Amino acid sequence: MSRWLCLAAILLAPAGLLPAQAPGEKQPTVIMAPVGNVEVHPGRSTDLELDFRIGTEFHINSNKPRADYLIPTVLKLTPAPPITLGDVKYPPGEDMSFAFAPNEKLSVYSGDFAINALLKCAPRATPGTYPLKGELRFQACDHSACYPPRSIPVQFQVTVVAK
Amino acid sequence: MGMIQAGKYLVRTRKHGPIKLAGDVHGVKAPDFDLRTLDGSKVKLSDFRGKAVLLNFWATWCPPCKVEMPWFVDLQNKYGKDGLVVLGVAMDDSEASKIAAFAHEMGVNYPVLLGNDQVSDDYGNVQYLPTTFYIDRNGMVVDKMAGLLSRQEIEQQVQKALQSTYKPVAESRRAAVAAATPAAKDAAQ
Repeated sequence: MSRWLCLAAILLAPAGLLPAQAPGEKQPTVIMAPVGNVEVHPGRSTDLELDFRIGTEFHINSNKPRADYLIPTVLKLTPAPPITLGDVKYPPGEDMSFAFAPNEKLSVYSGDFAINALLKCAPRATPGTYPLKGELRFQACDHSACYPPRSIPVQFQVTVVAK
Repeated sequence: MGMIQAGKYLVRTRKHGPIKLAGDVHGVKAPDFDLRTLDGSKVKLSDFRGKAVLLNFWATWCPPCKVEMPWFVDLQNKYGKDGLVVLGVAMDDSEASKIAAFAHEMGVNYPVLLGNDQVSDDYGNVQYLPTTFYIDRNGMVVDKMAGLLSRQEIEQQVQKALQSTYKPVAESRRAAVAAATPAAKDAAQ
């Protein structure tokens, strides 16, 4: 949780100092918490949790939105041999109604959410550090409008440790 | 004050080429565009000179945009005879067929145009959807509204656009220049 503190201080401090913003002046933010040391042994796998925080006043569609026309939140990671990817597990969305459509429930994420990804290491992997890169694609809205889909980079390092 | 703003706007326009909207857009000439409709024909804003235009930027992935669409259908029916034209500009990346299916499902009875970066840029980098421009019969922007409004607010904007008497900037400038000439001053005294 402490890794959010620095980010929170940077993002939230100016909020109280600024005048009320007109629609569209505040851009939605989704940030990823720094990933700690990820270790895996050759031939084994490890479950990685990636933590994200959505800026206040915004929500994004969950991975399984309730309508085909809505854009789901998707994590894409590029395999970096000897590290390959297993299942990616998304949290269930929260069913919420908004002022713009009080009779319609949307499945969304707001605040903090975590995505889990299974990382697999090849049996004959050479010990060392391997960078993994990818992106989180999402589409954000606030109480009265929506922003175009965006992606933020996701990157971290995986250390292969000898058995 | 309006004349000063218009003057600044003209300077900016001359420096940077084609008209782009930025800042206070009231009384500014709406940038013309040439966009494809869902059936493949081309539509220019200038095709509708003499009509008031409700120009709505939307996308299929935008639930608040969906809320407004039936209202636009009603307003087109109610004020079409008075000279209102509703134009939807879809800012989706998806294929036209998907946009068409969505518009059909929503009962849209007005032209839907396929938006692009150019028209977004010309209208002040439209990022926040829905964003709607209300344009009068002379092609001047009466108002810009970002985010979902109530139906009543939208109808008021439509009525303003239908009744607006903004004059094109060039005409306003000619009137101002004429009023500043010695002959005009003499006549006034």
